[in-house]
Amino acid sequence: MTSRIDGPLKVTGQAKYGADNLFPDTLHGYIVLSTVANGEITAMDVTAAKSAPGVVGVYTPFDVLKLDKAVSSVFGETWVPLQTKEVAYYGQPIGVVVAETYEQARDAAMTVEVTYDEKPAVTSFTDGLATAEEPPEIRGGAPNEMSVLADGVESIEDALAASPVVVDNTYFTATQHHTPMEPHSAVARWDAAGLTIYSGNQAAHLQAEELSTALGVDRSQVRCINPFVGGAFGGKARTSAAGFLAAAAARALDRPVKVVMSREQVFTATAGRAATAQRIALGADKDGKLIALRHDSVSSTGMDRSFVEPTSHGTSREWYATKNLHISQKMVPLNIPPVTYMRAPGEAPGSFALESAMDELAIALNMDPIELRLRNNSTAPPGKDLLWSSKHLDECYQIGAMRFGWANRSPHGHEDGDWLVGMGTATAMFPGLRFPATVRATFKADDTAEVGTGGADPGTGLLTVLALVGAESLDIAPDRVTPVLGDSALPPGGLSGGSTATASAGSATMVAAVELIDQLVKLATSAGAPFEGLEVTYEGGRVLADGRSMTFGELLRATGRTELTATGSSAPGEELTKHSFSSFGAQFVEVKVHKLTREARVTRMLGVFDAGRIINEKTARSQLSGGMIWGVSAALHEGIEIEPSGRFANADLAGYLVPVNADIPDIGVHFVQYPDTLHSDLGAKGVGEIGVVGVAAAVANAIHNATGIRVRHIPIRIEDLLDS
Amino acid sequence: MRPFELTAPDSVEAALSEQGTFLAGGTTLVDLMKLNVLTPQRVLDINELPLRGIDTSDGLRFGALERMNDIAHHPGVYPVISSALLQSASQQLRNMASIGGNLMQRTRCGYFRDVNTPCNKRKPGSGCSAITGDNRMHAILGTSDACVATHASDVAVALVALDAQITLASSTGTRTVKLDGFYRVPGETPEVENDLRPGELITEVFVPKLDWARHSTYVKVRDRQSYEFALCSAAVALDIQDGRIVDARVAAGGVATKPWRLAAVEDALRGEPATVRTFEQAASIAADGAKPLSANAFKPSLLKRTVVRALIEGSRA
Ligand SMILES: Cc1cc2nc3c(=O)[nH]c(=O)nc-3n(C[C@H](O)[C@H](O)[C@H](O)COP(=O)(O)OP(=O)(O)OC[C@H]3O[C@@H](n4cnc5c(N)ncnc54)[C@H](O)[C@@H]3O)c2cc1C
Ligand code: SF4
Repeated sequence: MTSRIDGPLKVTGQAKYGADNLFPDTLHGYIVLSTVANGEITAMDVTAAKSAPGVVGVYTPFDVLKLDKAVSSVFGETWVPLQTKEVAYYGQPIGVVVAETYEQARDAAMTVEVTYDEKPAVTSFTDGLATAEEPPEIRGGAPNEMSVLADGVESIEDALAASPVVVDNTYFTATQHHTPMEPHSAVARWDAAGLTIYSGNQAAHLQAEELSTALGVDRSQVRCINPFVGGAFGGKARTSAAGFLAAAAARALDRPVKVVMSREQVFTATAGRAATAQRIALGADKDGKLIALRHDSVSSTGMDRSFVEPTSHGTSREWYATKNLHISQKMVPLNIPPVTYMRAPGEAPGSFALESAMDELAIALNMDPIELRLRNNSTAPPGKDLLWSSKHLDECYQIGAMRFGWANRSPHGHEDGDWLVGMGTATAMFPGLRFPATVRATFKADDTAEVGTGGADPGTGLLTVLALVGAESLDIAPDRVTPVLGDSALPPGGLSGGSTATASAGSATMVAAVELIDQLVKLATSAGAPFEGLEVTYEGGRVLADGRSMTFGELLRATGRTELTATGSSAPGEELTKHSFSSFGAQFVEVKVHKLTREARVTRMLGVFDAGRIINEKTARSQLSGGMIWGVSAALHEGIEIEPSGRFANADLAGYLVPVNADIPDIGVHFVQYPDTLHSDLGAKGVGEIGVVGVAAAVANAIHNATGIRVRHIPIRIEDLLDS
Repeated sequence: MRPFELTAPDSVEAALSEQGTFLAGGTTLVDLMKLNVLTPQRVLDINELPLRGIDTSDGLRFGALERMNDIAHHPGVYPVISSALLQSASQQLRNMASIGGNLMQRTRCGYFRDVNTPCNKRKPGSGCSAITGDNRMHAILGTSDACVATHASDVAVALVALDAQITLASSTGTRTVKLDGFYRVPGETPEVENDLRPGELITEVFVPKLDWARHSTYVKVRDRQSYEFALCSAAVALDIQDGRIVDARVAAGGVATKPWRLAAVEDALRGEPATVRTFEQAASIAADGAKPLSANAFKPSLLKRTVVRALIEGSRA
């Protein structure tokens, strides 16, 4: 159990996040947002702003900071601000005021008068369900609609009709936002070498690609630095409006420019999570074996149609053994801010629907909900021959049930004084993914080593994991390894997204270490070197032969070098043709609901996870308990209220509720550790996202157990539980 | 925030001789200034004024600048007041915020706080966005066509239940008013929230002695366990002797445009046996006259439930 290497820096305020970089002469930009959801800007009166104290520049679609299309190799095109007079959502960045101080910029920005040719806005997701569109493309290029049918079965309807027990319901999940603690921000500075930008981001090299294309400069002239990222969750995968505007304004004004979004601005000027509506029909035989599973999903999206939240593809496609499966995905484009990846995109809202439906089926069958899930435990995704590489979901349930006291659960909950108490459970799964990554490993003459890659640690613990895997691979103590992240000058280190970073960067680290040790051995035995011509071995940071040994530092010094460097790359490959990969988990939640006033509060939680090898239990536990808290938040708190005008009614942390400490009980996290070396040599799968998956359903199922009330939407609030 | 002039008078007389907006803990004022909702030209920092002291010898007397936490933790303070304070805001805010400022805090209506939307309270005559908008948190009692915003203070609900008074000072003298009568319902003039006259300063809060208020409680129902305003709340004090309710005080928050004394509920309790049945019967009239809005049809039911819960818990206190 290793503590976070950067923990002391963070808790003492010494970790420099993007906006903490302040250079002499820095200007401050404040973004202006639209106050209509659809239309064209016909005029912007910036006279007052331009003459306000300290103001040096006001940029709008009428007085534009030129930006080209921003493109990255992973995300394709990314929206750049101020290039159009069209407004597609309320709170869209339409200007930036740059001044000597932040306060001057903000005060001047508030004087900008905007005139719109306003058009009616389409903002209701539920109204749009009837006319939902086919989405352009779903993750992995899967078809929007697909079926797996048993031999002789004509359609999913037939399979459902032939099922002795059927539950068929529609579930809704709210529009959400990542709103990470560190608001989107950037400090940009130009010099002869080009642009240096300090901005929290999930992949420095992708941000560099986006900025270089948008600014029309060579990729080598853009350096992105983000050693610390104050939370991202998918919302910092792409360059933000703050990043583009800081970079472009700094170039135009020839001074460093810092742009920090306010908390309110983060809600609309950066993308959030879609609302979803999901109809699920489950057909089973009397023993609880699934005969048919139908999951039809619709998600909201911005008018740019740039993202679809793949709830059925992310869950029902793979989760249970069923002879007949049908899934579909549609979307409702609205005049709302764009949506994007947010922690467990697809899986989080999808699992609310699927795992609520499984609970409903268990009740219809009068069967224990765990038993129902185990009876439908799969060895491979339906209709696929590629078996799960390593799956111990049954063990997760067994251990979880024992630790949580599941045997004491009654089908109708129990009472504790003025409170009704219930228990709920749900399955969690998250695909085992990996991105190509390159890691640079360096031996230094002072007997320390450095392991570096361009990836990011947005609070996940990757920096610590990098040191641990580096130490293990180089066979030296972790305190001799300096991990380095968050710099586009380092080799591309994948993306801190999709729960991939440990497996991607970790595997590449192993390759880089082998290569580095190889080079060290070559150096040791080369002509004139201390071990010339000998057969040497490497162990514990030393080169050995003939009963003699030298540390790598000694060897470097003896050969007149300061360091030795090697890179190693790793990417997913052949294994994808042999197995299916996923992490698994079982979530347990206990809630209490007040008999009279009906507040629902979580009183106990336990998650048991099968995520392959756990490299560092402490940071992994933190990831998972953090994810589980997200699940409680989604279940009971989070939801953006979108007004007919397209305005977000609660776009701040006073109105957009997330749990506070008093809402969160002690959280149990337990790992069953089965290294999955079919996935990667490292044996680790992701832990970043699976923690949130299933929790909202487990909460809803526990509430049902306590009260008998089934709520098929989240967040679940007091009024949903006032039955009479 | 607009540039403003800041002075810090060091005596009540000096403060009353200057024109400006009083700054106590600043947790409402500075917040609203940052949002451009309040744009005072001149701000008078009153923290140096001698408006301090908690005296519980004959009733409760609080200097207007006493901080919420200090009052809450004072041993002689009736439970309903401490409890209302401790369920307010957060530890940090309670360390800063004064009792005087608390009583003068502005509504949390999201439209009041957003200068880009119409709001009669912020800009008279501009319209009320909440009536057709996001109004789940809004009031069902004491509303008008002009405004449906709640008064957001918790402790004011407890104070109104206990017949508290406030002392107001101005350059022409001082006066004492009952807190209940001090607050106004919005009517046609939602911008006027109370009877404070221009330049008047709250110097003291007084709660008359009420021994049985030691048996009192404040129940706050909200969407999370801490750091959130009331969806509905109830302050209750009960004088129960030999199983009978001799006297009762009941007021509600989170549901009305001002702290809402429930005198009819009190009447229905007096003389009755202290049983859940009595509590339910008395509470059944708590929401009489309520006008729910599009998103808070549940509030009448929640109000009645909250009152029953507070009476049950109060009877155990
Ligand atoms: C995030 C947040 C959560 C909160 N949650 C709660 C909650 O759950 N429950 C609750 O009750 N409150 C809550 N509050 C409100 C908080 O209690 C008030 O902001 C606080 O009590 C105001 O006191 P202050 O001293 O900071 O007042 P200030 O902000 O200094 O002043 C507020 C107003 O009162 C005027 N004023 C101040 N003192 C006097 C005086 N002596 N005489 C005349 N006028 C005066 C000022 O001019 C100003 O108009 C919350 C506030 C915040 C920011
Ligand atoms: S309820 Fe009152 S405060 Fe809110 S918008 Fe209407 S007038 Fe303004």
